Amino acid sequence: MTTTLLEKEKQTTHFSFTGKGSDYFAIEIVNFLLTVVTLGLYYPWAKAKSLQYLYRKTELAGTPFVFHGTGKEMFIGFIKGVGIFIVLYGMLFFGLLTETPFIMVLSYFAFLVAFLVLVPVALHGMMRYRTSRTSWRGIHMGYRGELSDMITTYLVGFFLTIFTLGVYGSWFVVKLRKQMIDNVRFGNVSLRYVGDGADLFLINLKGYFFSIFTLGIYFFWYVKNVLHFYVNNIVVLQEDGTYSRLQCQVSGWDMLKLTVGNIFIIVFTLGLGIPLTTTRTMSLIMNNTVMSGDFDADALVQTEEAYDSAVYESMTDMMDIGVV
Amino acid sequence: MTFEGKYYNGRSSKGMPAQITLRPDGLRIDYSADEEVGAVHWETAGIHQSEFNDATTLLRYGKFPQQSISVVDKGFREALLQYYRGAAFLKSGYNSVLRLGTSGIAVMALSLLGLLVAFVIWGVPALADRVAMHFPQSYERQLGQQLYAKMLQGYQVDDEKTAALNEYLNTLDTGSDYPITAAVVTSDEVNAFAIPGGYVVVYDGIIDKMEHHEELAALLGHELGHVQKRHSLRALTRSLSYYMLASLLFGDISGVAAVLVDNASALRNLEYSRSLELEADQEGLELLRRNELNPQGVVLLMERLQRASESEMLTFFSTHPNTKDRIEALKKQIGESEQPYGEHPELEGHWEQLKAR
Repeated sequence: MTTTLLEKEKQTTHFSFTGKGSDYFAIEIVNFLLTVVTLGLYYPWAKAKSLQYLYRKTELAGTPFVFHGTGKEMFIGFIKGVGIFIVLYGMLFFGLLTETPFIMVLSYFAFLVAFLVLVPVALHGMMRYRTSRTSWRGIHMGYRGELSDMITTYLVGFFLTIFTLGVYGSWFVVKLRKQMIDNVRFGNVSLRYVGDGADLFLINLKGYFFSIFTLGIYFFWYVKNVLHFYVNNIVVLQEDGTYSRLQCQVSGWDMLKLTVGNIFIIVFTLGLGIPLTTTRTMSLIMNNTVMSGDFDADALVQTEEAYDSAVYESMTDMMDIGVV
Repeated sequence: MTFEGKYYNGRSSKGMPAQITLRPDGLRIDYSADEEVGAVHWETAGIHQSEFNDATTLLRYGKFPQQSISVVDKGFREALLQYYRGAAFLKSGYNSVLRLGTSGIAVMALSLLGLLVAFVIWGVPALADRVAMHFPQSYERQLGQQLYAKMLQGYQVDDEKTAALNEYLNTLDTGSDYPITAAVVTSDEVNAFAIPGGYVVVYDGIIDKMEHHEELAALLGHELGHVQKRHSLRALTRSLSYYMLASLLFGDISGVAAVLVDNASALRNLEYSRSLELEADQEGLELLRRNELNPQGVVLLMERLQRASESEMLTFFSTHPNTKDRIEALKKQIGESEQPYGEHPELEGHWEQLKAR
């Protein structure tokens, strides 16, 4: 019996990234060209294409992920996002033009509140959209979170962070990750985020002071710690109660090499090389991440229904929240 | 032709070993795993577009939940391309670009860079100018009025001088498409500026420096030139379009709004480009000619301001570079065509009034 247990503990399922910088570069060049020629209208299609490539080259247990999102879906989201921004900024702009102090303050306040609520709405939308459009071996992911929960979590966390002068920030981030990850389904498997705010707080505290003491060198180890905290606390839970954990083995030294290399690439190619930095980053993280524990790659069962709206995808994008 | 691969039925993640046969009307997939044995037929029309394949070829079929097959055999892709030549699921513009290879991609990248640079240098300003010139006059006037009112709040308006200046302007044939509203404000600064829609603000510091009314006419002609040629609006649309381009490339829409707000408040401080200044100078000269005034007025104005600028800080010049070049250009234009000019008692009367206060 002991042997089987040991064997089970040792079982690892590998992630990998097989994309090539030159290929992704070519795709992004085409995207860029078409986006410029169409005065930006092609952007959603470009985004869809680039995600399709990155997903297709990301493998779990030797099988690639598939991104099912389409340019048309993203275009609708993009238009709605742009519309909301135009309305919001228009309100603010005309409010300020009236020069009536009351209306100026009111419109500014309304703008801030709308913006604040928009963030969790966009996060929720992005989670719904991204997960529903992701499949692996034909099994789709899904997001079961409630929008109201997301808004509550976000607003409460936001204001607590302000009232505690930022100290609560670490707990806020963890709450938000829990809200997002705990509601993800992958067929009949579900995810859990088990990180603790206090741990993140210590990582941040240590990172802040050590980075200063070491003139910034520690910063890469700090980023590594945060990455580990985000990834290694994700648990994949199967229906029978068995589970496995994600493990990221990227080191601080790796992080340093990646960052310095990326900066050189961007500077010396005048920004043209940004796609190369994307594939370098993906390679480093994916090729050094495994899932260890019980995971039966053959036992996933489709549980999602056919998917729907793509409203929020591009909105998050424009606000540049940059999750996952 | 038959290939070995894995079949996923879309209900479970279990990969079932399968035999895939290429047939004229589609693929036939025979799978068998443990007790589950079966066959499916995929019509070519129902197969989803398949891009970015490598050693593994991935095909998906049908509606949600999609079935899929994965074949680890480069020969499979070659066979598909041969067998189903031109089929929709194999078409991909991106794949054909990827087949160009490294040098092809490099050539594409470089020509793209060239195109982009050309667009930024010539395309954007041309487009922005077109937009600015098509901006409805009534809106421009409305916008100008608000800015004018806002800017005057920061100054003390000299009502009597303002009245005299407006009399002067009314007597002058400005040739402007805009109704002109001008104000004289109390300030030691030697400066004047124009606001879109036909508004001009003149500091009394500059009037004090002048000795001939032709200089005033030249100054007004210069400022009205900015108005007539919509220089502020053009500069605004130009910088706005650069920001829009930047936010397009870097995916940040909120930057656009920042520019809008910034520009509205700092319109006054916009640095007119050299060519715009020269254009306005020309308009000033044009105004003198139209009114049969001595064209040397523009040169006098320039020289006087230049001389004054050696001893004082002159904001008029800090935003208007290359005075020497401008004087040269003006002298050349005056020299080219001789035109009669004379006294203008009515204008001089208003000028006396303006100076007397």
